[in-house]
Amino acid sequence: MTGERSLGLLLFEMTFLVLLGPLVTGIIQKIKARIQCRQGAGVLQPYRDLAKLFRKGTVQADTASGLFRLIPVLVLAATVAAGALIPVVRAGPPSFPLGDALLLLGLLALARFLTAVGALDAGGAFGGMGASREMTLAPLVEPVLMMVVFSTAVAAGTTELGALAAQRGTSWVLAWHAADFLGFAAMLVLLPAETGRIPVDNPDTHLELTMLHEGMLLEHSGPGLGCMLLASHTRQIVTLGLVSALFFPIGPANGADAAGLLLGVGAFAAKILVLASYLALVESSYAKLRLFRVPQFLGIGFVCALTALALRIL
Amino acid sequence: MSAETVRTIIDDLGALLLFTMILILAAGQIYRAIYAVAAQSLLIAIAAAVLATATGNTDLWVIAGITLTVKTIVLPWVLHRVVRRMNVRREVEPVIPVAATLALAVMVVVMSFHLSATLGPVNQAITGNALPVGIALTLLGVLVMATGKTALNQMVGLFASENGIFFTAMAVTQGMPLIIEIGVILDVILAVLVMAIMVLRVRSTVDADIAGLDRLKG
Repeated sequence: MTGERSLGLLLFEMTFLVLLGPLVTGIIQKIKARIQCRQGAGVLQPYRDLAKLFRKGTVQADTASGLFRLIPVLVLAATVAAGALIPVVRAGPPSFPLGDALLLLGLLALARFLTAVGALDAGGAFGGMGASREMTLAPLVEPVLMMVVFSTAVAAGTTELGALAAQRGTSWVLAWHAADFLGFAAMLVLLPAETGRIPVDNPDTHLELTMLHEGMLLEHSGPGLGCMLLASHTRQIVTLGLVSALFFPIGPANGADAAGLLLGVGAFAAKILVLASYLALVESSYAKLRLFRVPQFLGIGFVCALTALALRIL
Repeated sequence: MSAETVRTIIDDLGALLLFTMILILAAGQIYRAIYAVAAQSLLIAIAAAVLATATGNTDLWVIAGITLTVKTIVLPWVLHRVVRRMNVRREVEPVIPVAATLALAVMVVVMSFHLSATLGPVNQAITGNALPVGIALTLLGVLVMATGKTALNQMVGLFASENGIFFTAMAVTQGMPLIIEIGVILDVILAVLVMAIMVLRVRSTVDADIAGLDRLKG
């Protein structure tokens, strides 16, 4: 139905994701502000923050090693590389061997690991605490994400996201298999954890008791911090893109020309917008969970994903 | 509706039923469990309506109506009232940690799928995954009852368990005789009402925590 995606298209998609990442964060913050009856900063605020950070100088802890300087670049590179694996404008496998959903999850895990290593390297107390917390939760989130991917991949017979989306075709919710509902439910539970939002993490705070991801960024400054922030914006849009590739693979079928491209971009933007508003709603209506309650919350996702697999296989 | 469509819809509803069951199991507060059980009953009513249109069995419409009014609206309201009247801690305090309950739930689900896969010939006559889902729902309801400390939790568990039995019966037989279904529903209503009154009365003298009952030995 859909042809292969060329290298040019892949590069375009990757750039598109990276450029759009901060906007998604801005939109989520705007929706949150509106729900709280505030005016809120403009949706372009994350771009302004990034521009400001990239103009600043860098201050580094005396105890940090040479690796510390490299960490932001490596994290950003791993996350952006993960973005290349997401089909954005249309479905279909890439025209050359690139990688599949497992590589995507692996790259995100690598970024997470490097972030934690950087936080430990700087030697700050908060960094160490944030890293330890993040690493405690990571093994609860990543296997479940894999199971969700598997539960859809079993039906399609491939783990390559573009081919998987093409296999599922332009199906809408009516064509969903029973397992898809449970898989999607698991994904909805995991989304706040993977994007570092309430009820698992709180992205707006620098209070030592509540922060996970923010704690690891404390020691970075200037362009390094900018890279880390850009990486977390990208990580968020990549995760949302993964959800839309797995569960809502609707987009124009034969979009090689400019009109098809525009339509694909529009459809993708609409899907991301819906998922972003879901995140904003969850963030506004729940309190952050105590750290020891988080495994219980993620357990819901785990059981859902496993049941989805059971429905698919047994 | 074609048989294939009905089968798909019942399968999807089964998945959603399992999801609500997981929510009941993991609920940290009794309110959430009650909402989840109400949503579950709503799904059962939808399943009954779907089967009614598919089979043309008018009894099923009656069942769907009764389920909708009694189990989705009245009984959750009664439970809510009990919670408010009791004015006690709303946190669910399970006997074993919730993580362990969830692990048990996974085992139950996998086991019930495995069990019904071995049934073979019986499976042929049944709508999709309705049998394993129904078995899993029933057993998970029992699990809720077994791990809950308070009488309220047990009510929710009984409620959920009955939903599972109902779903299985409906999907497997494509509609039991009306009199049996109404009998089952009446049983549950009576059980919940009696338990609600008991809890309210017992509450006025002792705490409605059934964990304390093990000291009551003759």
